Amino acid sequence: MLAVNDLEVHYQELRALRGVSLEVTQADLVALIGSNGAGKTTLLNTISGLIPAVKGQVSWRGNSILGFSADAICQEGIIQVPEGRKLFSKMTVGENLEMGAYLPTARAYIAENLQMVFDIFPRLAERRKQLAGSLSGGEQQMVAVARAIMARPQLLMLDEPSLGLAPVMAADIFQVVEDLNQRGITILLISQEVLHTLTIATYAYVLENGKVTLDGTAQHLLDDPRIKESYLGL
Amino acid sequence: MGSVYALLGIGFSLSWGVMKVINISHAAFGLIAAFLAYTLLQAWGLDPILSIAVSVPLLFFAACFIYRFLITPITQAKEVIVSSMILTFGIAIILENLMLLIWSPDPRVLTTSYTSKVIIVGPFYFQYPRLAGFLMASMGVGIIQFFLKLTYTGKAVRAAWQQPDAAQLYGVNLKRISMITFGLAVASAGAGGVCMAYLYSFEPHTHSLWLIYLFLVVIVGGVGNVLGAASAGLIIGVITGLSLAFLPYQWVNLLTFGLLMIILILRPQGLFQSEV
Ligand SMILES: Nc1ncnc2c1ncn2[C@@H]1O[C@H](COP(=O)(O)OP(=O)(O)OP(=O)(O)O)[C@@H](O)[C@H]1O
Ligand SMILES: [Mg+2]
Repeated sequence: MLAVNDLEVHYQELRALRGVSLEVTQADLVALIGSNGAGKTTLLNTISGLIPAVKGQVSWRGNSILGFSADAICQEGIIQVPEGRKLFSKMTVGENLEMGAYLPTARAYIAENLQMVFDIFPRLAERRKQLAGSLSGGEQQMVAVARAIMARPQLLMLDEPSLGLAPVMAADIFQVVEDLNQRGITILLISQEVLHTLTIATYAYVLENGKVTLDGTAQHLLDDPRIKESYLGL
Repeated sequence: MGSVYALLGIGFSLSWGVMKVINISHAAFGLIAAFLAYTLLQAWGLDPILSIAVSVPLLFFAACFIYRFLITPITQAKEVIVSSMILTFGIAIILENLMLLIWSPDPRVLTTSYTSKVIIVGPFYFQYPRLAGFLMASMGVGIIQFFLKLTYTGKAVRAAWQQPDAAQLYGVNLKRISMITFGLAVASAGAGGVCMAYLYSFEPHTHSLWLIYLFLVVIVGGVGNVLGAASAGLIIGVITGLSLAFLPYQWVNLLTFGLLMIILILRPQGLFQSEV
């Protein structure tokens, strides 16, 4: 479905991605793990069209999408929940959700999708009129995920959705991600909570210093001694 | 007459806030609409209010064109605010000279059939043109507020301003939204300019005086804050109005800008917050 090939991205002299290749198959839940500064966010932002690549290929359903603008990528059904949520904090929860469905293709299903979002996060229905910036961290993360659902993703990419959340809240978010995957949405999940991520993922990639150093089925990686040592502290 | 300052200032405040473009030519565009109203009135007796139906779309398209071909290139610059000021200062000079060429440097007033009419309500009396200017400007402010709060495009403007990256991730085309914002900002200056022309005489150089009021509206009202701009406009209107009633004319600007300085010293962030 999504194939990244030999992708190279630079910030001035810094080579943030040095030839990354990765594949996401339809209906999979693919995990991307790696330590701070490995280049995970850079990879998502390049796929989303926010950062240009120096070299390489990104193809979506067989067609190259590298060089597309971010709004064109969104139009393709590739939706990102960005790191740090990036909510429209001076707009209400309801308006944030509406902005998720900004494109006409998503707008046509707005009522139906709102219903689904409020089923998943009943708390957001109560907070609909409240400014997004005034919510708690956990509630804000719900809005960020809900906004992405409103966009009717075919591929949903989440960048550390559980960062800074209490364990219960984080578990809830992981549960939602798993449910969305079960509903047929393909997922690319970045997370530093390696154990939890690998238990819900089907396939996983490890990114280190801008390179994929390890990949395999999630079960396979859970058993890998290198993962156990560097990421699970076992 | 505060709503007139508000209408003139809102667009200025928006393009500053949303696009980091300080449009020095904002008031000059408003002045062009005023001259256009004057010409249409002289030539065909067209009511200045109706002239807005001509000048607003005209300014909108002119501004979109200017944004696309002159301002888009500098949005890549490091110091957008500074480069935009220099660029739009140039545009203002060109517009001023254009107005000098077409309309000559003589001061003009909009004289309509109802210029000297008044309405008396109890102890108050309202001059017709002032009332018209006030009503139109309030309507203009209302329309802008409606656009920003209730239309999809307006919400996209606010979203793009608060989180440009996230807005793009959800399908907002930043270039297009910026162009529309700039177009609407300049168009609202046109409506504001006609309202100003109802109240004061004008000549091709008048826009520099208006520009000072624009800065005043933004500084008091908060960058990009529509309601702040409206309140700031009202405050400025009340102060100039009151001081005109009690003080000689020369004192009015002194008082207004003295107040501005006091505000800046006491609350450097402005009276209202910057937000949309
Ligand atoms: N806008 C930028 N300008 C310059 N360098 C950047 C920029 N963004 C990221 N970098 C650098 O690129 C490298 C990869 O950063 P990136 O944010 O992709 O890492 P990450 O894997 O998402 O890390 P984290 O887990 O901390 O979020 C880091 O060394 C970072 O300092
Ligand atoms: Mg990151």
